[in-house]
Amino acid sequence: MTNTRPSEIQRFNLTFRIQHVILLVTFLLLAFTGWALKYPEPALQHTGWWIRLWGGAKAAGIIHRVAGVIMIADFVWHVIYVVSQLLTGKMKFDPVTTIVPVPSDIKNAVQNILYFVGLSDTKPEFGRYNYIQKFDYWAVFWGMAIIGLSGLVLAFPTTVAIFLPQWSANWIWEVFFVLHSDEALLAITYILIMHFYSEHLKWENFPMSMTWITGKLSMHAFKNEHPLEYELEMKENPGAFKNPGKS
Amino acid sequence: MKKFLLFLALLPVSLILLSPPAFAETFTCLACHGSMKGKIRTEKGSFIEVYVDEGRFSRSVHGGMGCTACHKTFKDNPHEAPNAEVARNITELASLISSKAQIDAVAYAACSECHSDTYKQVSESVHGRNVIEKKQHDGALCLDCHGSAHYIMPGQSRESMVNRANVVGACGECHEKEEIAKKYNLGTHIIEKYNESFHGKKYKLGHSGVPTCVDCHGAHGIKKWDDPASPVSWENRTATCGKCHPGANKKFVASITHKPTGKDNPIPFYAEKGLIVLTVGTIAFVIFHVFLEAFADIRDRVFRKNKEEHHD
Repeated sequence: MTNTRPSEIQRFNLTFRIQHVILLVTFLLLAFTGWALKYPEPALQHTGWWIRLWGGAKAAGIIHRVAGVIMIADFVWHVIYVVSQLLTGKMKFDPVTTIVPVPSDIKNAVQNILYFVGLSDTKPEFGRYNYIQKFDYWAVFWGMAIIGLSGLVLAFPTTVAIFLPQWSANWIWEVFFVLHSDEALLAITYILIMHFYSEHLKWENFPMSMTWITGKLSMHAFKNEHPLEYELEMKENPGAFKNPGKS
Repeated sequence: MKKFLLFLALLPVSLILLSPPAFAETFTCLACHGSMKGKIRTEKGSFIEVYVDEGRFSRSVHGGMGCTACHKTFKDNPHEAPNAEVARNITELASLISSKAQIDAVAYAACSECHSDTYKQVSESVHGRNVIEKKQHDGALCLDCHGSAHYIMPGQSRESMVNRANVVGACGECHEKEEIAKKYNLGTHIIEKYNESFHGKKYKLGHSGVPTCVDCHGAHGIKKWDDPASPVSWENRTATCGKCHPGANKKFVASITHKPTGKDNPIPFYAEKGLIVLTVGTIAFVIFHVFLEAFADIRDRVFRKNKEEHHD
């Protein structure tokens, strides 16, 4: 009985994992089909190989719209799920486990960067979500508000036009278009750099963190990357960690 | 059997003898013009192309026609002038468009002989009136959009200048030019703005449903947008857009202006600038953060290995 400590903890339940997979698939579909429209290939005159890969401009347009609607539905499902979890008490607000930005995130960010450059000897101690993970999460809300709404406007222009004031009619469409396309570019590059580094390239995760499939996080990573949540778990649920010392 | 062989032997001869006169005549002209290279200076001082590509001509929609069907008479003729009779309406039209058709106005006007309905539309259009009434030499007529009458291909052919795949380029020939825009007080960058629009981007990607210039503005009978008869006039625009966008209202149809963003159109201009700052700023921070993090991760792994293990 020297090692009864579980080697992994459950970080994300099945619902969250399904929501993430839907988000991931629709995000890629939207990015790939939208990219063709953002940068149409003029060199190959009407038949860029990329758009042919997606079945031509019409098919790509349909894929883009369907994926967009599924992504919005996924987002709505997520929000309803989280709110219901909070209301029924299955999820509780705690500064350590919350994904809501708290003042200590700013302190942690500064300390983390100081640690990176060697001006601080200690890493900041994170809770369940570090500031980058919080940024990742809320970026989706920002994206939904900006890209999702402008996408709906662009998908149903004649309906939306009924509600627009006349004085905005000359320029507002271009603004919607710019919002949709530029923020999408921001989302794609952000995911490509930050999310890819954290979940794929980072030493302990290379080539890929399996958390998105299993929902589990190794006890080692839990303790190292989320020490505050680890301590909280220890306090609230000491039975689960019979031998938290060296394994 | 002998008779049959004789028939076979005479078949090519009979084909030549029985072929329509147009063929023989074209054959004669092309004997020289099919092999001449370069341009010739006329007495008036303009350079004219004297070479006619026989292969392309015979494949064109006019390949079966004789040269003098259009080239009925020409003044600067170095060789014997064709003495075809020229109808009065052709000579009249030729003098009307002489500012434009400086080399062989009769041949230019001859289009109207077969394409009379189209020519009527053109002569009432903003392009036709510009040449006929305002005598502008740089206004557009048949050949500016369709190319040389020798090589006109059917509209469905990708080789046609006004084929769907090429028509935006054909309009752009003039409408991309700043001096044309300035002279006629037209919008600048309209082709550029079209290319940046959803219509233009989908067009580039080969979407068969999006409109090109002519789908909204019309072709032969094109009118200026402020002419009430134009399909894109403020009165007709909802109907024109409504062909593809049922329920299009005035606020919706105002979206397409082909106006460049900038001074006249400041809100999208500054919205885009703001978003670029936001995007570039965020990406810069993210790259900065990832590089530092990668640096620190490698440092901790390689140089502070013992410390890491100790912590565990």
